[in-house]
Amino acid sequence: MNPIVVIAILLAIVLVTLVLLVLVNRGEARFTFDIGGQAPRASGGGDNSAEKGFKTRLTGLSIFSGSIIGVLFARLWAMQLVSADEYAQQAELNRTRTISTVAPRGRILDRNGIELVTNRPSLVVVASPDVIDDEVKIQHLANVLGMPPMAVRRKIQDQTEGAQSQRTVAVDVSRRMVAYIDEHQYLFEGIHVEERVQRHYPQGTTCAHVIGYTGSPTQEQLKAAEEQASDTGISYESGDTVGQAGIEYQYESVLQGVRGEQTVYVDADGNVLDYASSIDAQSGSDVILTIDSKVQQAAEQGLVDAIERVRKAGNQVCNSGSAVCIDVTNGDVIALASYPTFSPSDFVGGISNDDWEMLSSEEAGNPLMNRVIAGQYPSASTIKPLSTFAALNYGIATSESQYVCSGYWTGFGEAYGQYCWNHDGHGGVDLRQGIVYSCDTVFYEIGKGFFNSDNPEGLQETYRRWGLGKATGIDLPAESEGRVPDAEWKWSYFTQADDYARSWQGGDTTNLVIGQGDLLVTPLQMACVYAGIATRGKIMRPHLLKGVATRTGGGTVIDYESEVALTVEEQDASLDLVQSGLQGVIYEESEAQASHFTNMKELVAGKTGTAERASDREPTGWFVAYLPADNPRYVVASCIEQGGYGSESAMYVVRDIMGAIYDEPDTSNAIDTSGVR
Amino acid sequence: MALFSRDAGPEGIGEKAHTTFSRGAGSARGPKMSATGISQILYLPQLVPTLLLVAYGSLIIWSASLTIAEASFTRQLVGIALGLVAAYAMWVYDYRTLANMSTALLVAAALLMILPKVPGFGYSAKGITGWVRIPIIGLRFQPSEPAKLVTILLMASLGAQYNGRIETLRDYLKLCGILTIPFLLILTQPDLGTGLIVLVAGAAIIICAGAPRSWVLVTIGVVVLGATMVVVTSMTPGLPHVLKQYQLNRLIVFVDPSVDPSNNGYNLQQAKIAVGSGGFFGKGIGNATQSGSGFLPEAHTDFIFALMAEEFGFVGSTVLLGLFGAMIFASISLAQRVDSPFAKLVLVGIVTMWSFQLLQNVGMCIGLMPITGIPLPFISFGSSSMIAQLMSVGMVQSIWRHRPKAA
Repeated sequence: MNPIVVIAILLAIVLVTLVLLVLVNRGEARFTFDIGGQAPRASGGGDNSAEKGFKTRLTGLSIFSGSIIGVLFARLWAMQLVSADEYAQQAELNRTRTISTVAPRGRILDRNGIELVTNRPSLVVVASPDVIDDEVKIQHLANVLGMPPMAVRRKIQDQTEGAQSQRTVAVDVSRRMVAYIDEHQYLFEGIHVEERVQRHYPQGTTCAHVIGYTGSPTQEQLKAAEEQASDTGISYESGDTVGQAGIEYQYESVLQGVRGEQTVYVDADGNVLDYASSIDAQSGSDVILTIDSKVQQAAEQGLVDAIERVRKAGNQVCNSGSAVCIDVTNGDVIALASYPTFSPSDFVGGISNDDWEMLSSEEAGNPLMNRVIAGQYPSASTIKPLSTFAALNYGIATSESQYVCSGYWTGFGEAYGQYCWNHDGHGGVDLRQGIVYSCDTVFYEIGKGFFNSDNPEGLQETYRRWGLGKATGIDLPAESEGRVPDAEWKWSYFTQADDYARSWQGGDTTNLVIGQGDLLVTPLQMACVYAGIATRGKIMRPHLLKGVATRTGGGTVIDYESEVALTVEEQDASLDLVQSGLQGVIYEESEAQASHFTNMKELVAGKTGTAERASDREPTGWFVAYLPADNPRYVVASCIEQGGYGSESAMYVVRDIMGAIYDEPDTSNAIDTSGVR
Repeated sequence: MALFSRDAGPEGIGEKAHTTFSRGAGSARGPKMSATGISQILYLPQLVPTLLLVAYGSLIIWSASLTIAEASFTRQLVGIALGLVAAYAMWVYDYRTLANMSTALLVAAALLMILPKVPGFGYSAKGITGWVRIPIIGLRFQPSEPAKLVTILLMASLGAQYNGRIETLRDYLKLCGILTIPFLLILTQPDLGTGLIVLVAGAAIIICAGAPRSWVLVTIGVVVLGATMVVVTSMTPGLPHVLKQYQLNRLIVFVDPSVDPSNNGYNLQQAKIAVGSGGFFGKGIGNATQSGSGFLPEAHTDFIFALMAEEFGFVGSTVLLGLFGAMIFASISLAQRVDSPFAKLVLVGIVTMWSFQLLQNVGMCIGLMPITGIPLPFISFGSSSMIAQLMSVGMVQSIWRHRPKAA
């Protein structure tokens, strides 16, 4: 209520009372407060005597003082006896504060216990957003931190951690700088030093795409955590470390600890006077990966070397690629590498806008993208084993089928002639040799057979049966599904084209059968396909989690249980033929290529691939192989974007990974010049 | 508690003793008035509760000094010692001399109030400039504290002239007019709280001096109207702002504590929490979280009652009110019995001052009164108040000692 109104009402009441009193008590009446009124006094003193006047007025004073004490007493009774509990509660609320304590985030280890991600304490200089208006302060801070003032200004302007939040200016500052800032706090108002626990990467950039990175929780994560808080017990505060990609994101609920609570007694200024009850923070659990650091490093180095090799050979546009190695018996991902890579430590303490833009840019090769699961390419010749299964299953071909390759195939008429990669022609070849020499003519025939058969989409059905066109279900976020094109897809995809161009043509089938055209697969999908070939149809779900261990207990609390992702039924004879063909690729296709594998004890089976893309781009080089061929254990796949022939790029990566697994480095310097695809 | 009652006890001081007095009889038959030994010269019913109150206050200040740096127990003891010396002087001094010194008293009151404005004497603290620093000694005091007592003596000496009956309006207006002089001078300090005490105590003296009821009611009406006008104009933009913003804020918060202009609502809320959370027995010395941890501002001065109520609970509050009640009613009882109108009116003024300060100070801690900077007599930290209050006690004792027919 408006105080003026209250006062006005009070005033009105007082005035009315006064007027009434004056009217009622006209005359010379004085204050007597004499309850007894006209009763004669024992003393016999006159009613109007001065003595009586004083006496009654003093009685009035007694009433005045007595009622003051009475009112105060009544009010104190009400407050200290009746409502005491309520006030005591308020007093308790006043002096206690509950501070949530940070729970250390779980570590990430490789399968041998090598720390890939751990925590370390770090001193961080943070500034309030309004510091940006104080040029002198920025200059001071820049001098102390040894940074250019411009950099300090940009850090403070950066809003990635939230518009209102404190801006991280410098991470890992020295004790000396901290001491200086603390001692000269009057110069650095709005600037604080915080002790934080940061993610630490003892192996540097190793495993970056697997690990992912962390950051402050996003609005969605804050909301989601709030909704699920009752189940998980996890709650976020702005500034917390939360997984934003990779394993950090995938296993956030495992890695993230549960915040503890510390109740403290504080004074009016918020200083902590004493500690009351506390609930200990529960550390996040450690995640043990299936990754073998040694193999992983070989894969990453292999990619770097292979791309360097391609570039040295004159192809300067080659700048990215990926490789993956999986244990076919249980789906363990032994290595998973993507290039170009990034440093997860760039994200520690919040990544700057500039860095973020660089890491997401096309020109830089999109380093944040995990090409193993998100890179989609035509599979090229690596699809031929599946085309072979399709042909055998649908009766398009038999193991006895014979083909003649002249280098130029005109099965759909002269107007629609297509080259085999070997323009000179392979001559007479059978189905196995079609795989070994990757003879396109053989598969054009198969494609034509399908196109003209009652099962024109038998190829697609087979590809899908082997898991293409859908995600493998690996435990990483943002996996792509790839694409198995069919007539229906083509019709709805090219809506702008005329009906003829939109409808499925024979050429589409002959493209599809050799893995060109609109087929898209991820390196991980191809690795799974070859794992299935190696295991004769049992594809285990690829996974990175080996187990979960508590920080304190020791030993794993959860072990990942391998599961079969896909069981593919193929006839034994078909599998024998394909497996034999894939061994032939390694040892028979070209001498130079064979020389890289004959120096290993283990038998290898695999396939090259060279995916043609748009005419202005170099082809994508593929190599997928498994070993030992006689008792398969590992499948290794690599894909080099714009890397040219698979045998000249991806093959080296695969070989390096195999060498790391079996400790058998590649000793051959032979370079395959046969142009084999 | 029987001390003030007409019907107190079988041999009470009631009608009999009183009439004896009023007739001017020389006999000392009234038991209280014929007291022997020390009670001949000391009015124990008033003195004992006062000394207990001072002791209680020292205990509270000592406990406040445990957590509040500014609350120096030693300085408080020095204040008490100085106050006792001053009280002794007052007690020895024959107060009756003052009855005919109204002019001198008026001059003294005016001088006290002007002193802070004199260069070399003025000293500011806590937004109130009404402090005096005695040169050379360096001792500081608030002249408005002794001015309260001087004004009471002044008004009593004037009022006593009429022997219980103010016959003419001219006399009445003269009394009211003279009262406004010290009141306005105190307002210039600026110290509205003390000004109000002086006004209320002076008004009580005028009323008891025998002012006709209708005149008094009209005067109160005019004063209330005037005060309201002052508040309203101060709140209205464009009109002269007589009240300072902080004074307005206190009024606003009193009407609606949920608003919080410049923390006044917070202070009130914290004081109430302190009092209420004390409960029945209190939290004990040194365990007061509200005052000990700084939530309660000015816990050793203006809000000392809240600190006491938090540490000693309802029991402590009751003891405090009981001691105040005992000394107040002992003083009223004395006023009933003494003969001289001057003594009566002095006692009226002193009792009104204590009662009003008690209401104002305790009332503000429990949300009954607006926040003002009025100290709790005998308890609050601060020497000026302590000395002035103990001088008032000396005055009461002097009235007892110099009663005409005793001894």
